[in-house]
Amino acid sequence: MVLKIRLARFGKRNKPFYNIVVAQARSARNSKPLEVLGTYDPVPKPAPFGEGKPFKDIKLDTSRAKYWLGVGAQPSEPAWRLLSMIGLLEPRYNVQKMQQTEMAQRGAAQSEEAVAALEGR
Amino acid sequence: MFRWLNGPGNVFRQPLPGSTNYLNAYDRSGNLLRARDSPKGRNSEGEAEEKDEDKEKDVDEGETNDLEVNVETATVKSKKAQRPSPKAMMDGVPLPKETAEDLMPFPMNRQFRSQAVLSEELKNAIYERVVVQGKSVRNVSAALGVEMRRVGAVVRLKAVEKGWETKGKPLATPYSKAVLSMLPQTPYIPNDPQVHESINDLPVHRATTLQLFHPVSESRHFTRRDAGQAFQRDLKPAEDRIPHTELYQMEKWRYEGMQRDERIQRMREQNEKDIQAKKEKEERRREKEKMEVTRVDHGRSVFRFQDVRVDERVGEDGRGRAGVGARYGIPHQDRKKGQIKIPTKVE
Repeated sequence: MVLKIRLARFGKRNKPFYNIVVAQARSARNSKPLEVLGTYDPVPKPAPFGEGKPFKDIKLDTSRAKYWLGVGAQPSEPAWRLLSMIGLLEPRYNVQKMQQTEMAQRGAAQSEEAVAALEGR
Repeated sequence: MFRWLNGPGNVFRQPLPGSTNYLNAYDRSGNLLRARDSPKGRNSEGEAEEKDEDKEKDVDEGETNDLEVNVETATVKSKKAQRPSPKAMMDGVPLPKETAEDLMPFPMNRQFRSQAVLSEELKNAIYERVVVQGKSVRNVSAALGVEMRRVGAVVRLKAVEKGWETKGKPLATPYSKAVLSMLPQTPYIPNDPQVHESINDLPVHRATTLQLFHPVSESRHFTRRDAGQAFQRDLKPAEDRIPHTELYQMEKWRYEGMQRDERIQRMREQNEKDIQAKKEKEERRREKEKMEVTRVDHGRSVFRFQDVRVDERVGEDGRGRAGVGARYGIPHQDRKKGQIKIPTKVE
Protein backbone atom coordinates (compact mmCIF):
# COMPACT_ATOMS: atom_id res chain seq x y z
CA MET A 1 0.00 0.00 0.00
CA VAL A 2 1.05 3.58 -0.56
CA LEU A 3 2.87 5.36 2.21
CA LYS A 4 2.13 9.02 2.67
CA ILE A 5 3.94 11.80 4.45
CA ARG A 6 1.11 13.98 5.67
CA LEU A 7 -0.14 16.16 8.46
CA ALA A 8 -2.27 14.89 11.33
CA ARG A 9 -4.27 17.57 13.08
CA PHE A 10 -3.98 17.80 16.82
CA GLY A 11 -4.53 20.76 19.09
CA LYS A 12 -7.81 22.34 20.07
CA ARG A 13 -10.62 24.08 18.27
CA ASN A 14 -9.26 27.23 16.58
CA LYS A 15 -5.78 26.21 17.71
CA PRO A 16 -4.47 23.82 15.11
CA PHE A 17 -1.28 21.93 15.63
CA TYR A 18 -0.01 19.25 13.31
CA ASN A 19 2.14 16.20 13.55
CA ILE A 20 4.07 15.46 10.38
CA VAL A 21 3.66 11.71 10.04
CA VAL A 22 4.39 8.76 7.81
CA ALA A 23 1.26 6.63 7.52
CA GLN A 24 -0.56 4.22 5.24
CA ALA A 25 -2.45 6.26 2.69
CA ARG A 26 -5.85 4.78 3.51
CA SER A 27 -5.65 5.01 7.29
CA ALA A 28 -7.61 7.61 9.22
CA ARG A 29 -6.08 11.05 9.65
CA ASN A 30 -5.34 10.82 13.35
CA SER A 31 -4.78 7.10 13.63
CA LYS A 32 -1.46 5.90 14.93
CA PRO A 33 1.07 6.42 12.14
CA LEU A 34 4.09 4.36 11.22
CA GLU A 35 6.28 7.14 12.45
CA VAL A 36 6.10 10.75 13.56
CA LEU A 37 8.59 12.91 11.67
CA GLY A 38 7.95 16.17 13.45
CA THR A 39 5.46 18.92 14.16
CA TYR A 40 4.08 21.97 12.42
CA ASP A 41 2.48 24.89 14.24
CA PRO A 42 0.58 26.87 11.59
CA VAL A 43 -0.32 29.76 13.87
CA PRO A 44 2.26 32.51 13.33
CA LYS A 45 3.87 33.76 16.53
CA PRO A 46 4.84 37.42 16.74
CA ALA A 47 8.56 38.01 16.35
CA PRO A 48 10.34 38.67 19.64
CA PHE A 49 10.66 42.37 20.47
CA GLY A 50 8.51 43.14 17.42
CA GLU A 51 11.46 42.83 15.03
CA GLY A 52 10.79 41.33 11.62
CA LYS A 53 8.15 38.97 10.40
CA PRO A 54 6.13 36.65 12.58
CA PHE A 55 7.39 33.08 12.60
CA LYS A 56 6.02 29.57 12.41
CA ASP A 57 7.83 26.78 14.16
CA ILE A 58 8.47 23.45 12.51
CA LYS A 59 10.29 20.55 14.04
CA LEU A 60 11.43 17.92 11.58
CA ASP A 61 13.63 14.88 11.73
CA THR A 62 15.32 15.45 8.38
CA SER A 63 17.24 12.19 8.28
CA ARG A 64 14.10 10.13 8.81
CA ALA A 65 12.21 12.28 6.30
CA LYS A 66 14.96 11.63 3.71
CA TYR A 67 14.79 7.92 4.39
CA TRP A 68 11.04 7.73 3.91
CA LEU A 69 11.20 9.82 0.73
CA GLY A 70 13.95 7.50 -0.47
CA VAL A 71 11.76 4.41 -0.06
CA GLY A 72 8.91 5.99 -1.97
CA ALA A 73 6.67 7.71 0.57
CA GLN A 74 4.48 10.29 -1.16
CA PRO A 75 4.11 13.65 0.54
CA SER A 76 0.70 15.27 0.55
CA GLU A 77 0.50 18.77 -0.87
CA PRO A 78 1.02 20.68 2.41
CA ALA A 79 3.78 18.26 3.41
CA TRP A 80 5.41 18.76 0.01
CA ARG A 81 5.36 22.50 0.53
CA LEU A 82 7.09 22.17 3.90
CA LEU A 83 9.68 19.63 2.75
CA SER A 84 10.51 21.64 -0.34
CA MET A 85 11.28 24.67 1.80
CA ILE A 86 14.40 23.03 3.19
CA GLY A 87 15.37 21.45 -0.09
CA LEU A 88 14.30 17.85 0.50
CA LEU A 89 12.12 18.06 -2.61
CA GLU A 90 11.78 20.16 -5.73
CA PRO A 91 9.11 22.79 -5.12
CA ARG A 92 5.88 22.08 -6.93
CA TYR A 93 4.77 24.96 -9.05
CA ASN A 94 1.17 25.94 -9.40
CA VAL A 95 0.70 26.57 -13.13
CA GLN A 96 -2.19 28.97 -12.67
CA LYS A 97 -0.32 30.98 -10.06
CA MET A 98 2.81 31.11 -12.22
CA GLN A 99 0.76 32.36 -15.14
CA GLN A 100 -0.72 35.05 -12.96
CA THR A 101 2.67 36.24 -11.73
CA GLU A 102 4.02 36.22 -15.29
CA MET A 103 1.10 38.30 -16.47
CA ALA A 104 1.63 40.73 -13.66
CA GLN A 105 5.33 41.04 -14.46
CA ARG A 106 4.63 41.53 -18.12
CA GLY A 107 2.07 44.22 -17.34
CA ALA A 108 4.52 46.04 -15.10
CA ALA A 109 7.21 45.92 -17.80
CA GLN A 110 4.81 47.26 -20.42
CA SER A 111 3.73 50.15 -18.24
CA GLU A 112 7.37 50.98 -17.57
CA GLU A 113 8.07 51.00 -21.28
CA ALA A 114 5.09 53.25 -21.85
CA VAL A 115 6.32 55.64 -19.18
CA ALA A 116 9.82 55.64 -20.69
CA ALA A 117 8.36 56.31 -24.14
CA LEU A 118 6.31 59.21 -22.82
CA GLU A 119 9.35 60.72 -21.13
CA GLY A 120 11.37 60.26 -24.34
CA ARG A 121 8.88 62.43 -26.18
CA MET B 1 -24.14 65.00 61.42
CA PHE B 2 -23.29 68.71 61.42
CA ARG B 3 -20.34 68.00 63.57
CA TRP B 4 -19.05 65.67 60.86
CA LEU B 5 -19.91 68.06 58.06
CA ASN B 6 -18.15 70.96 59.71
CA GLY B 7 -15.29 68.81 61.00
CA PRO B 8 -13.53 66.12 58.99
CA GLY B 9 -16.20 66.20 56.30
CA ASN B 10 -15.36 69.80 55.56
CA VAL B 11 -11.70 68.89 55.19
CA PHE B 12 -12.41 66.20 52.68
CA ARG B 13 -14.27 68.58 50.38
CA GLN B 14 -10.85 69.78 49.36
CA PRO B 15 -8.52 66.90 50.07
CA LEU B 16 -4.93 67.70 50.93
CA PRO B 17 -2.78 67.06 47.87
CA GLY B 18 0.06 64.58 48.22
CA SER B 19 -1.44 63.00 51.31
CA THR B 20 -3.34 59.78 51.86
CA ASN B 21 -6.22 61.70 53.49
CA TYR B 22 -7.26 58.84 55.70
CA LEU B 23 -9.78 59.55 58.42
CA ASN B 24 -7.34 58.54 61.11
CA ALA B 25 -5.01 61.40 60.27
CA TYR B 26 -7.60 63.93 61.53
CA ASP B 27 -9.11 64.53 64.94
CA ARG B 28 -12.84 64.89 65.55
CA SER B 29 -12.98 68.54 64.67
CA GLY B 30 -11.09 68.00 61.44
CA ASN B 31 -7.60 69.12 62.37
CA LEU B 32 -4.70 67.32 60.80
CA LEU B 33 -3.07 65.57 63.72
CA ARG B 34 0.47 65.55 62.41
CA ALA B 35 0.27 69.24 61.48
CA ARG B 36 -0.86 70.05 65.00
CA ASP B 37 1.83 67.97 66.66
CA SER B 38 4.50 68.81 64.17
CA PRO B 39 6.71 71.36 66.00
CA LYS B 40 7.06 69.24 69.10
CA GLY B 41 6.92 65.90 67.35
CA ARG B 42 9.45 66.89 64.74
CA ASN B 43 12.02 67.94 67.29
CA SER B 44 11.81 64.77 69.31
CA GLU B 45 11.76 62.69 66.16
CA GLY B 46 14.74 64.47 64.80
CA GLU B 47 16.74 63.79 67.93
CA ALA B 48 15.81 60.17 67.88
CA GLU B 49 16.79 59.95 64.26
CA GLU B 50 20.13 61.51 64.86
CA LYS B 51 20.84 59.03 67.61
CA ASP B 52 19.79 56.17 65.42
CA GLU B 53 21.93 57.35 62.58
CA ASP B 54 24.92 57.69 64.82
CA LYS B 55 24.48 54.15 66.00
CA GLU B 56 24.11 52.90 62.48
CA LYS B 57 27.17 54.77 61.42
CA ASP B 58 29.25 53.06 64.06
CA VAL B 59 28.05 49.64 63.17
CA ASP B 60 27.41 49.80 59.49
CA GLU B 61 29.93 52.19 58.12
CA GLY B 62 31.73 49.54 56.18
CA GLU B 63 28.58 47.92 55.00
CA THR B 64 27.01 51.01 53.59
CA ASN B 65 30.21 51.85 51.83
CA ASP B 66 30.35 48.42 50.28
CA LEU B 67 26.78 48.64 49.19
CA GLU B 68 27.61 51.85 47.53
CA VAL B 69 30.26 50.20 45.47
CA ASN B 70 28.35 47.08 44.71
CA VAL B 71 25.39 48.89 43.38
CA GLU B 72 27.18 52.02 42.25
CA THR B 73 24.91 54.43 44.05
CA ALA B 74 24.98 56.53 47.12
CA THR B 75 24.17 55.17 50.54
CA VAL B 76 20.88 53.49 51.12
CA LYS B 77 19.36 55.11 54.14
CA SER B 78 16.61 53.78 56.28
CA LYS B 79 13.04 54.75 55.68
CA LYS B 80 12.93 56.74 58.89
CA ALA B 81 15.12 59.42 57.41
CA GLN B 82 12.69 60.01 54.58
CA ARG B 83 11.92 63.66 54.12
CA PRO B 84 8.35 64.89 53.75
CA SER B 85 7.31 65.14 50.15
CA PRO B 86 7.43 68.71 48.90
CA LYS B 87 3.87 68.40 47.70
CA ALA B 88 2.38 68.10 51.17
CA MET B 89 2.78 71.69 52.25
CA MET B 90 0.44 73.68 54.43
CA ASP B 91 0.92 77.43 54.69
CA GLY B 92 4.39 77.10 53.25
CA VAL B 93 5.55 74.82 56.05
CA PRO B 94 6.34 71.28 54.97
CA LEU B 95 4.19 68.75 56.74
CA PRO B 96 5.89 65.91 58.55
CA LYS B 97 5.64 62.49 56.96
CA GLU B 98 2.61 60.38 57.72
CA THR B 99 3.14 58.24 60.79
CA ALA B 100 1.99 54.65 61.02
CA GLU B 101 -1.10 55.92 62.86
CA ASP B 102 -2.02 58.09 59.89
CA LEU B 103 -1.77 55.22 57.46
CA MET B 104 -4.79 53.29 58.69
CA PRO B 105 -7.47 53.52 56.01
CA PHE B 106 -10.03 51.72 58.15
CA PRO B 107 -10.34 53.34 61.60
CA MET B 108 -11.87 50.20 63.16
CA ASN B 109 -9.15 47.92 61.82
CA ARG B 110 -6.05 49.04 63.63
CA GLN B 111 -3.98 46.16 62.28
CA PHE B 112 -4.22 47.28 58.68
CA ARG B 113 -1.66 49.85 57.59
CA SER B 114 -1.25 51.06 54.03
CA GLN B 115 2.07 49.97 52.59
CA ALA B 116 4.00 52.30 50.30
CA VAL B 117 3.87 51.58 46.57
CA LEU B 118 6.55 52.38 44.00
CA SER B 119 6.30 55.88 42.62
CA GLU B 120 6.26 56.39 38.87
CA GLU B 121 9.77 57.89 38.91
CA LEU B 122 11.13 54.91 40.79
CA LYS B 123 9.56 52.52 38.30
CA ASN B 124 11.07 54.48 35.44
CA ALA B 125 14.45 54.41 37.16
CA ILE B 126 14.22 50.64 37.57
CA TYR B 127 13.36 50.15 33.91
CA GLU B 128 16.12 52.52 32.85
CA ARG B 129 18.76 50.72 34.89
CA VAL B 130 17.78 47.21 33.87
CA VAL B 131 16.93 47.68 30.20
CA VAL B 132 18.89 50.73 29.07
CA GLN B 133 21.99 50.47 31.25
CA GLY B 134 21.88 46.67 31.24
CA LYS B 135 22.46 46.19 34.95
CA SER B 136 21.46 42.93 36.55
CA VAL B 137 18.16 42.64 38.39
CA ARG B 138 20.09 41.62 41.48
CA ASN B 139 22.20 44.74 41.34
CA VAL B 140 19.28 47.09 40.81
CA SER B 141 17.33 45.40 43.57
CA ALA B 142 20.13 45.94 46.08
CA ALA B 143 20.68 49.50 44.90
CA LEU B 144 17.09 50.67 45.16
CA GLY B 145 15.88 48.48 48.00
CA VAL B 146 13.21 46.77 45.93
CA GLU B 147 12.69 43.04 45.91
CA MET B 148 14.02 41.19 42.87
CA ARG B 149 10.65 39.77 41.90
CA ARG B 150 9.18 43.24 42.05
CA VAL B 151 12.02 44.60 39.90
CA GLY B 152 11.26 41.91 37.33
CA ALA B 153 7.55 42.70 37.41
CA VAL B 154 8.18 46.44 37.02
CA VAL B 155 10.45 45.85 34.03
CA ARG B 156 7.91 43.58 32.33
CA LEU B 157 5.00 45.94 32.93
CA LYS B 158 7.00 48.97 31.82
CA ALA B 159 7.92 47.07 28.65
CA VAL B 160 4.22 46.48 28.02
CA GLU B 161 3.54 50.16 28.63
CA LYS B 162 6.24 51.23 26.18
CA GLY B 163 4.85 48.78 23.65
CA TRP B 164 1.43 50.35 24.00
CA GLU B 165 2.90 53.80 23.62
CA THR B 166 4.60 52.87 20.36
CA LYS B 167 1.38 51.31 19.12
CA GLY B 168 -0.52 54.45 20.07
CA LYS B 169 -2.82 52.67 22.51
CA PRO B 170 -4.35 55.05 25.05
CA LEU B 171 -3.01 54.77 28.60
CA ALA B 172 -5.12 55.35 31.70
CA THR B 173 -2.63 57.89 33.03
CA PRO B 174 -5.14 60.16 34.82
CA TYR B 175 -6.54 57.14 36.61
CA SER B 176 -3.09 55.95 37.65
CA LYS B 177 -2.19 59.43 38.84
CA ALA B 178 -5.37 59.72 40.85
CA VAL B 179 -4.86 56.38 42.54
CA LEU B 180 -1.16 57.01 43.22
CA SER B 181 -1.90 60.40 44.75
CA MET B 182 -4.03 58.66 47.36
CA LEU B 183 -1.43 56.09 48.36
CA PRO B 184 1.79 56.37 50.31
CA GLN B 185 4.65 56.09 47.83
CA THR B 186 8.34 55.39 47.91
CA PRO B 187 9.89 58.35 46.13
CA TYR B 188 12.91 58.13 43.87
CA ILE B 189 15.79 60.31 44.99
CA PRO B 190 18.73 59.59 42.67
CA ASN B 191 21.50 60.27 45.18
CA ASP B 192 19.65 58.95 48.18
CA PRO B 193 17.58 55.86 47.28
CA GLN B 194 14.95 54.96 49.82
CA VAL B 195 14.49 51.40 50.95
CA HIS B 196 11.13 50.25 49.65
CA GLU B 197 10.97 46.89 51.37
CA SER B 198 13.06 44.19 52.93
CA ILE B 199 14.94 42.56 50.06
CA ASN B 200 16.82 39.79 51.75
CA ASP B 201 14.16 37.72 53.49
CA LEU B 202 14.92 34.07 53.99
CA PRO B 203 12.25 32.04 52.22
CA VAL B 204 10.70 29.44 54.50
CA HIS B 205 11.63 26.00 53.30
CA ARG B 206 9.06 23.34 53.96
CA ALA B 207 11.56 21.06 55.62
CA THR B 208 12.40 23.68 58.21
CA THR B 209 8.86 24.16 59.46
CA LEU B 210 9.04 21.03 61.55
CA GLN B 211 10.31 21.27 65.06
CA LEU B 212 13.44 19.20 65.25
CA PHE B 213 15.45 17.91 68.17
CA HIS B 214 18.85 17.00 66.90
CA PRO B 215 21.24 15.93 69.63
CA VAL B 216 24.81 16.87 68.89
CA SER B 217 27.89 16.25 70.92
CA GLU B 218 29.16 19.31 72.70
CA SER B 219 32.59 19.07 71.14
CA ARG B 220 31.24 19.15 67.62
CA HIS B 221 31.52 22.32 65.56
CA PHE B 222 27.88 22.61 64.50
CA THR B 223 27.39 25.26 61.83
CA ARG B 224 24.45 26.57 59.86
CA ARG B 225 25.40 24.20 57.08
CA ASP B 226 25.03 21.27 59.45
CA ALA B 227 21.73 22.69 60.69
CA GLY B 228 20.41 22.76 57.15
CA GLN B 229 21.52 19.20 56.59
CA ALA B 230 19.87 18.13 59.81
CA PHE B 231 16.54 19.25 58.40
CA GLN B 232 17.07 17.71 55.01
CA ARG B 233 20.13 16.11 53.49
CA ASP B 234 20.56 18.54 50.62
CA LEU B 235 19.19 21.67 52.29
CA LYS B 236 21.58 24.56 51.91
CA PRO B 237 22.40 26.84 54.85
CA ALA B 238 20.41 30.03 55.27
CA GLU B 239 23.14 32.23 53.78
CA ASP B 240 22.91 30.35 50.49
CA ARG B 241 19.14 30.47 50.36
CA ILE B 242 18.63 34.21 50.83
CA PRO B 243 17.97 36.21 47.66
CA HIS B 244 21.05 38.43 47.92
CA THR B 245 23.88 36.09 48.80
CA GLU B 246 26.43 38.67 47.67
CA LEU B 247 25.47 41.03 50.50
CA TYR B 248 26.15 38.24 52.95
CA GLN B 249 29.44 37.51 51.26
CA MET B 250 30.51 41.11 51.60
CA GLU B 251 29.66 41.17 55.28
CA LYS B 252 31.60 37.98 55.74
CA TRP B 253 34.69 39.46 54.11
CA ARG B 254 34.42 42.43 56.40
CA TYR B 255 34.20 40.15 59.39
CA GLU B 256 37.28 38.30 58.21
CA GLY B 257 39.13 41.58 58.37
CA MET B 258 39.55 42.19 54.68
CA GLN B 259 40.37 45.78 53.77
CA ARG B 260 37.66 47.87 52.21
CA ASP B 261 39.40 48.41 48.88
CA GLU B 262 40.10 44.74 48.54
CA ARG B 263 36.48 43.86 49.28
CA ILE B 264 35.29 46.31 46.68
CA GLN B 265 37.77 44.97 44.18
CA ARG B 266 36.69 41.40 44.73
CA MET B 267 33.01 42.22 44.50
CA ARG B 268 33.60 44.08 41.27
CA GLU B 269 35.50 41.16 39.83
CA GLN B 270 32.69 38.84 40.81
CA ASN B 271 30.13 41.13 39.20
CA GLU B 272 32.19 41.25 36.04
CA LYS B 273 32.45 37.49 36.02
CA ASP B 274 28.69 37.10 36.44
CA ILE B 275 27.98 39.47 33.58
CA GLN B 276 30.54 37.72 31.40
CA ALA B 277 29.10 34.30 32.20
CA LYS B 278 25.63 35.51 31.34
CA LYS B 279 26.82 36.88 28.02
CA GLU B 280 28.64 33.69 27.16
CA LYS B 281 25.59 31.63 27.97
CA GLU B 282 23.45 33.79 25.71
CA GLU B 283 26.09 33.54 22.99
CA ARG B 284 26.17 29.74 23.23
CA ARG B 285 22.40 29.61 23.06
CA ARG B 286 22.46 31.71 19.91
CA GLU B 287 25.16 29.56 18.33
CA LYS B 288 23.17 26.44 19.09
CA GLU B 289 20.04 27.93 17.60
CA LYS B 290 21.95 28.94 14.50
CA MET B 291 23.25 25.40 14.11
CA GLU B 292 19.89 23.75 14.59
CA VAL B 293 17.40 26.15 13.11
CA THR B 294 16.97 26.89 9.40
CA ARG B 295 14.98 30.00 8.64
CA VAL B 296 12.97 30.18 5.44
CA ASP B 297 11.34 33.45 4.50
CA HIS B 298 8.02 32.62 2.95
CA GLY B 299 5.75 35.52 2.20
CA ARG B 300 4.06 36.82 5.29
CA SER B 301 5.96 34.80 7.84
CA VAL B 302 9.26 33.11 8.48
CA PHE B 303 9.33 29.34 8.83
CA ARG B 304 11.78 28.13 11.44
CA PHE B 305 12.80 24.55 10.78
CA GLN B 306 14.38 22.86 13.72
CA ASP B 307 16.16 19.61 13.03
CA VAL B 308 15.25 17.11 15.73
CA ARG B 309 15.62 13.43 16.47
CA VAL B 310 12.21 11.90 16.94
CA ASP B 311 13.50 8.84 18.76
CA GLU B 312 15.09 10.95 21.46
CA ARG B 313 13.41 11.55 24.79
CA VAL B 314 10.50 9.22 24.04
CA GLY B 315 11.46 6.74 26.71
CA GLU B 316 11.61 2.96 26.67
CA ASP B 317 8.13 2.39 25.30
CA GLY B 318 8.20 5.38 22.93
CA ARG B 319 5.34 7.06 24.74
CA GLY B 320 7.23 9.64 26.79
CA ARG B 321 5.71 13.11 26.96
CA ALA B 322 8.99 14.86 26.27
CA GLY B 323 9.25 13.44 22.74
CA VAL B 324 8.52 15.44 19.60
CA GLY B 325 4.91 15.77 18.51
CA ALA B 326 1.51 15.26 20.02
CA ARG B 327 1.49 11.90 21.72
CA TYR B 328 -0.75 9.00 20.80
CA GLY B 329 -2.89 7.20 23.35
CA ILE B 330 -2.06 9.59 26.16
CA PRO B 331 -5.00 11.81 27.08
CA HIS B 332 -4.53 15.51 27.77
CA GLN B 333 -4.62 16.53 31.40
CA ASP B 334 -5.51 20.13 30.74
CA ARG B 335 -9.21 19.77 31.51
CA LYS B 336 -8.52 18.07 34.83
CA LYS B 337 -9.16 19.80 38.13
CA GLY B 338 -6.32 21.72 39.69
CA GLN B 339 -4.31 22.22 36.50
CA ILE B 340 -2.45 25.52 36.67
CA LYS B 341 -2.43 27.33 33.35
CA ILE B 342 -0.78 30.58 34.35
CA PRO B 343 2.06 31.25 31.94
CA THR B 344 5.46 30.96 33.55
CA LYS B 345 7.39 32.76 30.84
CA VAL B 346 7.14 36.21 29.31
CA GLU B 347 8.69 36.85 25.92
